[in-house]
Amino acid sequence: MNITENVQGNVHQVYLEGRFDADTADKVEEFIRKKIKKKISHFVLDMENVSFIASAGLRVVIVLAKELRGEHKGDLYVAALQPSVYRVFEISGLNNVLSIFDDTETATQSFN
Amino acid sequence: MQRLSFDFPADTRILAKIGNLAADAGRNAGFNDVGIGDIQLAIDEACTNTIIHGLKKDPSRTFQLIIQWKTDEIEILIHEKGEPFDPSATRIPDPEASLEDRPVGGLGIYFVRELMDKVEYRTDEEGIKTLRMVKRVSKS
Ligand SMILES: Nc1ncnc2c1ncn2[C@@H]1O[C@H](COP(=O)(O)OP(=O)(O)OP(=O)(O)O)[C@@H](O)[C@H]1O
Ligand SMILES: [Mg+2]
Repeated sequence: MNITENVQGNVHQVYLEGRFDADTADKVEEFIRKKIKKKISHFVLDMENVSFIASAGLRVVIVLAKELRGEHKGDLYVAALQPSVYRVFEISGLNNVLSIFDDTETATQSFN
Repeated sequence: MQRLSFDFPADTRILAKIGNLAADAGRNAGFNDVGIGDIQLAIDEACTNTIIHGLKKDPSRTFQLIIQWKTDEIEILIHEKGEPFDPSATRIPDPEASLEDRPVGGLGIYFVRELMDKVEYRTDEEGIKTLRMVKRVSKS
């Protein structure tokens, strides 16, 4: 899993590349947790280059979105899902409770 | 009938390889992209549970993965002698639940059951657990 980041105003755009599974989920969680510690609370998770997500990846998205919405008055938006990845969000019903956008630009603008 | 059998260590780094094996087998059996994605997710969740819960991520311990297929059907078997497990005791997640009400975890077995046509867990007298799952190409 490759993680890169771009900052636009107070929104941190986090770009993932690779599989988001039980082997890589911790790395993503740690990356974002370090930022939360530095009081960053608005994130867009760009998954255009994520070909596969498993429950371990969803777990990280759920935990972080819950935490950011609750204590930090922020959120974790999800953007640019491939159809096979979107399907996994759908089967779990997460598409109804998370904010999912077609692309990172739209997601970023929706924060403002 | 084609058959592949592997002994893998309880190490999450092998999940990517298992995903590729699952995709190749699914394609050869005649599944479309959605079906292949479903098979990949079900195998991944089942192997992840075996690695993490069954074998406690101890890479010196192994499990056996068997993938067999024929036209329009794939069958996957996972044999593992790890932590005892009663699948009937697992909670079924509610896909309608709000984010706040969602427990962390508990989606893996749900995905396996949703995506495969037949799912059976059994444990033999020696404590060897077997998860067997079957999926057929849907004709609808
Ligand atoms: N092979 C196994 N051996 C022992 N226990 C298992 C095994 N598979 C599942 N379990 C038990 O069943 C529970 C539910 O599994 P499931 O995959 O649904 O959720 P999870 O692994 O806890 O979380 P998630 O898969 O959503 O990340 C596990 O927490 C574990 O206690
Ligand atoms: Mg699991």
